[in-house]
Amino acid sequence: MLKINDIHKSFGNNEILKGVDLSIDKGDVVVILGPSGSGKTTLLRCINFLEKADSGQAGFGDLKVNLHGASKRDIHTIRQKTAFVFQNYNLFNNKTALENVTEGLIVGRRVPKADAIGIGKKALDKVGLSDKYDSYPSQLSGGQQQRVGIARAVALNPDIILFDEPTSALDPELVGEVLTVMKNIAKEGTTMLVVTHEMSFAKDVANRVIFMDGGVVVEEGSPHDIFVSPKEERTKKFLKRVLPEDYTFYI
Amino acid sequence: MSEGLNYTFLIDTFFIALSGVPITLLVTIVALLIALPLGFLLALTRINQVPVLNWFSRIYVSFVRGTPIIIQIFIVYASVPLILSLFFEKYNININVYNINPIWYAFIVFSFSTTAILIEVFRSALSTVNKGQLEAAQSVGLSNFQAYRRIVIPQALVVALPNICTATVNLIKATSLGYAMSLQEITLKAKVAANVGYNYVEAYIDIFLVYIILCSLVEYGFKIYEKRLRRYKYVSA
Repeated sequence: MLKINDIHKSFGNNEILKGVDLSIDKGDVVVILGPSGSGKTTLLRCINFLEKADSGQAGFGDLKVNLHGASKRDIHTIRQKTAFVFQNYNLFNNKTALENVTEGLIVGRRVPKADAIGIGKKALDKVGLSDKYDSYPSQLSGGQQQRVGIARAVALNPDIILFDEPTSALDPELVGEVLTVMKNIAKEGTTMLVVTHEMSFAKDVANRVIFMDGGVVVEEGSPHDIFVSPKEERTKKFLKRVLPEDYTFYI
Repeated sequence: MSEGLNYTFLIDTFFIALSGVPITLLVTIVALLIALPLGFLLALTRINQVPVLNWFSRIYVSFVRGTPIIIQIFIVYASVPLILSLFFEKYNININVYNINPIWYAFIVFSFSTTAILIEVFRSALSTVNKGQLEAAQSVGLSNFQAYRRIVIPQALVVALPNICTATVNLIKATSLGYAMSLQEITLKAKVAANVGYNYVEAYIDIFLVYIILCSLVEYGFKIYEKRLRRYKYVSA
């Protein structure tokens, strides 16, 4: 459904992505792991054109676009098919939770207001915020804000949701509520591409794990492949660093 | 020998000064109507580093900030008629440039200087809105224009409003310099009335009062508007 070919991106002299390929099928939950600076976030941002890649192609069903020179119309089309969940939520500060969710529907996709409100309320119910429709972001905790962020993405009913370290900015005790919501929407068959440092999420929810380092994909496979029998030295080193010594992994 | 204040004159002149308010307000409003959108657009060119325009706004701002308004008035008031009369002569247009109402010059000078101030006001206000707000808006499918209109500008406006208020009040006060080009505003009217009997102190007190009332009302209006705009920031949890 989504195919990325040979994507390159540099910031100044610093080459962040050195030719990354990626292919995602409908219903996949793909987790990208990797040390910071490995280009995971940049890859995600390039797919949604929040960053302009230096070169590379994206195939979205029948739509083929050049990631460097895409027209405004192509960018708009791709953004309609994708949704983005940000590390620091980026909720619209001047809008209530419900307005945050309906904004993209009403203004971006011209859904009639009454329908959009219905969809928005349902999305907020799904993330457990039925009592927060009219709260502004400043009144919500980090975990609640991120759940609104997820509701905002889900409500758009996109082909794929891109998650950029959705729990990294949260207090440890708030991580759980967000991960639970993500697991639930994964179970419903939503296609997800997730950059995260939450190993438990990768193990329990992902059907594919990609390990990136130094701007390239080092290794990819099922969670079992990556966590139990990693082939590459760099993957082993990384996992040793992030997983506790006595951690045993059952599947 | 001093006879103290002439109270009858003080009261009469107060109303004469007051009759200059419409002109003062007209100049202020026209200047704002031109300066607000123009200042905003030029602030965008600075933030987004648009070539040429960015450079132009920078020079423009430092030029206006670096010269007194009274000098800007003298330059416009002296040079524009000169240029116009040359132009009219060349094309045989029969208009006497010296009959042009000075209010047109006031419009030019005050929108010119207010634009420069508002460029800086908007530039600082826009830079307080996190870039993530724009990105989030784009990611849910809003166009750049929609994202600015619905998400970025409402948030920037809350930050900009106190400074826009200051700029407006400064503008109202600056229009008193319009007397230098015989603009029929508050200051000129009161001064002319004072000329007859040399009652300058009374006239100045009247001018003082009219400005302070006018500016207080404007400030109050801004405060109410600001309170409404920043609802989302101070709602109690």
